[in-house]
Amino acid sequence: MKTQVDRKTLSTDVLIAGGGVGGLTAAISIKEIAPELDVLIVEKQTCGYGGKANKGGGVLQYFDLTKMDPWDFVKYHANVIGGFLGDQELLAKYVSMNNHMLDKLTEWGAKVPKNPDGTYNVMPTGPATAIIGVDLDITLKMRRTAEKLGVKIIDKVAITDLLKKDGKIAGATGFSLLDGTFYEITAKAVIMATGSQNYRIGSMWGSGRGDGIAAVYRAGAELRNVEFGNFAQLVRVRSHTEVVYGENFMYNAKGEHITKNFLKEREPDISSKAIREWYWAMTNGTGPVHLRFDSPQSEGGAPLSRLWDRPYGQEFWRLNHERAAAVDTDTEVCPLLIGEQSPIKVGHDMQTTIPGLYAIGDASYCGSAAPGAVPAPPGRNRGSGILNAVFAGISCAESVANHAKSNPLPEVDKEQIEKSFTRVFAPLERESGCTCKDVIRKVQEAMGPMEYSVYMHADRIAQALAIVLEAKALVPQMKAVDFHDLLSCHEAEAMVLSAEMHYRAAEMRKESRGWFLREDYPEMDNKNWLKWIIVKNVDGEMTFSTEDVPIEKWPVKPMA
Amino acid sequence: MIDTKHEIVFHPEKCVGCGLCYKACFVDVIRWDEENKKPVFKYVEDCEHCFYCESVCKRGAIEVKPNYASERLLQHFDRYR
Ligand SMILES: Cc1cc2nc3c(=O)[nH]c(=O)nc-3n(C[C@H](O)[C@H](O)[C@H](O)COP(=O)(O)OP(=O)(O)OC[C@H]3O[C@@H](n4cnc5c(N)ncnc54)[C@H](O)[C@@H]3O)c2cc1C
Ligand code: SF4
Ligand code: SF4
Repeated sequence: MKTQVDRKTLSTDVLIAGGGVGGLTAAISIKEIAPELDVLIVEKQTCGYGGKANKGGGVLQYFDLTKMDPWDFVKYHANVIGGFLGDQELLAKYVSMNNHMLDKLTEWGAKVPKNPDGTYNVMPTGPATAIIGVDLDITLKMRRTAEKLGVKIIDKVAITDLLKKDGKIAGATGFSLLDGTFYEITAKAVIMATGSQNYRIGSMWGSGRGDGIAAVYRAGAELRNVEFGNFAQLVRVRSHTEVVYGENFMYNAKGEHITKNFLKEREPDISSKAIREWYWAMTNGTGPVHLRFDSPQSEGGAPLSRLWDRPYGQEFWRLNHERAAAVDTDTEVCPLLIGEQSPIKVGHDMQTTIPGLYAIGDASYCGSAAPGAVPAPPGRNRGSGILNAVFAGISCAESVANHAKSNPLPEVDKEQIEKSFTRVFAPLERESGCTCKDVIRKVQEAMGPMEYSVYMHADRIAQALAIVLEAKALVPQMKAVDFHDLLSCHEAEAMVLSAEMHYRAAEMRKESRGWFLREDYPEMDNKNWLKWIIVKNVDGEMTFSTEDVPIEKWPVKPMA
Repeated sequence: MIDTKHEIVFHPEKCVGCGLCYKACFVDVIRWDEENKKPVFKYVEDCEHCFYCESVCKRGAIEVKPNYASERLLQHFDRYR
């Protein structure tokens, strides 16, 4: 082996991969209930700065629980958003915890705006629903809180493989982006808080590269709802800035308000039908599509980001808005694939099908089944991304702590570690080959076009899958030139995996539901498809099965 | 994003070596030169034009000049690069 790197051996009670808002919440929550446990966060960038929570709108969903019953929202969600594929109990639990989560975030240092009388300064969106802003230093504040509680943090180390012993989790391996140091970490419990899969297409979403999902898949845990992993947003064609709610004022080249073709009344957020409408306009000669910001359907007001005083985020938003405004000389829009596959299957305590292995936040949003037939946050439920990660982080804490307390430190399996070492550094060992970008470019060609990944059809699924398989054939040939590039190689492989699972499962689901839209099967089919598709790696083979949604257990049912 | 052509203009004379920009980059574009206590913009072709590095630099030492046209939107219509 020509790659010369140092090796470090560590052990901890709890290992958390990923130090975004989900990983930080879990770390703090575990320390709050079991301060004696060692908790280690390993983050591939810099914990507190990495991840998504500090790059978004900073908008949190608010429920006035004095005026509403959580089940009212569950009923609305199942009918309008989740298409009856959601775990209704889990969603009800999420809604019930809303005010508690805001209190916790405030306690952990996040700036959530309050009125002089101490109540939250919310902006109503309905009789009992509202939104509230949080400043973008949220994860920095949480990092400080975690460190004060004794959480250890290692930055610039990527977790690559999970280790098992007797069917249970036993730790993980990883390597440093800076000098390649190989980490062997023994742990009693491991939490994957590594985010979702976004295929490096949308700017700002670029940290979601699915390598955590791929590690879980390789370890043999089940994944669920892989086919509900594609969200797209309308963006300005010059600056690629997202226009949230722009679907309400789409106009074609003939000046017709084409929103009317797919929307009877205003919906909570963009649907895949808006994407189909754009695609139709572009293919039937009535495109391109413009947004009329001066139309009655546009609310025209200040972007949400500017509603509250959030000094840390304001400079970030100012730069984004100003630079974009300099090039946005017209109002044309087109869709951009955001992605958001988040398929690690977990139960109510966020445990995967491997004992001691947990997954939270964007890594397991859809896999938890809480949201039903929509991709990870926003998932047509604006303000649920950060709070879902907080919810999952809090929800796993007790189970993780119990698991760590009742299991001894696992023995290290040298063979697994050496296998991982060889796999991890293989792209650096190759004398020649293709680049990771060759692979990523192909995956993007298969996922980016809306008629492949969003407005689907059996023929086009087959075409896109063929491109994914071309990318897959290149994976064993990837050559890395340094450790940054090495990580990109592993991420590229994870993108291939996500894309393949998506198209294979999409082909199986012969219906349309939630964000999942097929041209050849345009209707929701409750007779045959109140089912989840489960993906599992069995001895290296990608296997698919289905599981009935236990709709009989839950109060909200589709109309016959 | 891959293969982008965003430009990052760095003014070393304004930089006080606080390291915040290095920490702020969420996709490992920026590395840290420990000897000179200065950021190194090493993998600019991976830059996502998020402006975070510029936004945390209180000294005005960084300016991100986005080249939006270098970002591929991947739709099957010629002008969507
Ligand atoms: C532009 C944008 C706008 C948004 N707006 C909002 C909003 O207004 N309101 C809202 O509620 N939500 C919003 N969201 C969504 C929200 O930010 C996410 O749902 C939330 O931050 C997810 O948290 P997470 O901790 O699960 O994942 P992430 O924030 O993605 O964190 C995952 C972390 O894991 C690290 N990591 C990944 N792989 C590895 C590995 N192999 N080893 C070690 N570390 C790894 C990553 O570097 C990252 O730091 C927005 C997102 C974006 C991108
Ligand atoms: S944030 Fe600004 S001052 Fe600090 S190291 Fe970076 S460039 Fe220098
Ligand atoms: S703009 Fe964003 S992605 Fe680009 S170098 Fe700065 S922090 Fe990194």
